[in-house]
Amino acid sequence: MTSSGRSGASFRDPSGFLFVRDGTLYRQINQSYRPAYDQLIESGLFTELVQGGWLIPHEPMGIPPAEPAIASLIIRPEPVSFISYPYEWSYSQLQDAALATLEIQQRALKRGLSLKDASAYNIQFHRGRPVLIDTLSFEPYREGEPWVAYRQFCQHFLAPLALMSRRDIRLGQLLRLHIDGVPLDLAARLLPWRARLNPGLLTHIYLHAASQHRYAGADIRSERRGRGMSKNAFLGLIDNLRRTVSRLTWSPGRTDWAEYGQMHNYTPFAYEAKHRIVGDFLDRSRPRSVWDLGANVGEFSRIASDRGVPTIAFDIDPSAVEVNYRQVRRAGETNLLPLLMDLTNPSPAQGWQHAEREAMVSRGPTDLVMALALIHHLAIGNNVPLPQLASFFADLGQWLILEFVPKSDSQVKIMLASREDIFSDYHQQGLERALAAFFDLREAHKIQDSERTLYLWEKR
Amino acid sequence: MAAWVVFLLGRAAAPPAYLDPGSGSYLIQLVLAGALGALLAIRMSWGRIKGMFRRGEPAEDEQPEKHDE
Repeated sequence: MTSSGRSGASFRDPSGFLFVRDGTLYRQINQSYRPAYDQLIESGLFTELVQGGWLIPHEPMGIPPAEPAIASLIIRPEPVSFISYPYEWSYSQLQDAALATLEIQQRALKRGLSLKDASAYNIQFHRGRPVLIDTLSFEPYREGEPWVAYRQFCQHFLAPLALMSRRDIRLGQLLRLHIDGVPLDLAARLLPWRARLNPGLLTHIYLHAASQHRYAGADIRSERRGRGMSKNAFLGLIDNLRRTVSRLTWSPGRTDWAEYGQMHNYTPFAYEAKHRIVGDFLDRSRPRSVWDLGANVGEFSRIASDRGVPTIAFDIDPSAVEVNYRQVRRAGETNLLPLLMDLTNPSPAQGWQHAEREAMVSRGPTDLVMALALIHHLAIGNNVPLPQLASFFADLGQWLILEFVPKSDSQVKIMLASREDIFSDYHQQGLERALAAFFDLREAHKIQDSERTLYLWEKR
Repeated sequence: MAAWVVFLLGRAAAPPAYLDPGSGSYLIQLVLAGALGALLAIRMSWGRIKGMFRRGEPAEDEQPEKHDE
């Protein structure tokens, strides 16, 4: 956010920009975009997309513009509770975001409009579903013109999905490195040779990359002359992209983490006790938002989200996040957002002036942090001293539900089996001392039938 | 009449194009245009032919393929 309140991520498109005033997010629509905005409304497309849950609703506001000289209208979009980025999404989240973009484009074309961009960052998960948040993404469709956002769609969606599906799920992280999506020549080099046998990938990645290489920096006016793209061909392109995207698949492997729901380190009695204590802590602290760190497939996140609390379930494992998201989708859950996050290297501030994409911590704080069966991974698995862990939790939220896993626990024994135990402070008193520097202890319960303890802390 | 209004609006209302479509990305669409249009036409005709023989059954699933559900 700049000093004028203008969002640091909102500068590329001269159609308008986002700004914050008195804690509320607004969007200024500039004069140059006003006719297109009017067409969006008058064509009925806005109503159709909002009613279908594809586009974020907004209302016009009679407040002074942020930049009056170029302003035409101020709108207030419905707030999205948490902004997430494509490199934090599971495979199916990125795939659903891609299909939402194409669905919106098909509906727009039927009403004489077209998407002028296809950025994955314009899609957010709002109440469990992918929604377009950029009201200014539409332009009048011009017969004969190709899709101006074709390259962006392929870089932001198709290339990472193909790499995740056909090469390795971890290649989704290339989106964190390349802010305008995965370069197609890089995708073509990284994909296995047999990906060429898929007609959609052959066309939209390999031939597309070859065409980019062939015409890089070229004056194409003579090639364009006399050629056009009929509306039928345009619709054919969108349909072909949709079929290509929807036929790519990836299924979570049977990793230890994704099977956690069935194979955890508790007796049924202890597991039930843990559930009950977490529920009691939530009832006592009554948070308005929850971040569950190391949430796995969201078993304990749902104790919060089922109480109507907007909850983010962060996990490092793409399989766990995928399983979690599929459950959200299947059950139509609206309060739970599963996201991929490596807490030892969380999403940084990125892009122009470090202001286009916010760091994970800057998107907080939340009301309550849950860290269940987590701290041994950070303190022992990543050598983070307990005082620094306490400071991290204090940055993130007002309340903390934390589970202490002692060295005598079988999971910790496995972690220490192959290395020297340099963690002399890693015991319950050490943890309590570290947390007490920031928090007051509200409750502590030993989980019966286990070696573990659950704490509720409140920040001073 | 409505189409004419849309056409006029379309001509008058083009906002500034801020995204560079890229020369290669632009041209490959022109090259593929004929094939993509034809492919869609064939698929739609085929859908209609199939529909004639499957009257009463739901249309072909247009939703993303679900893998686990």
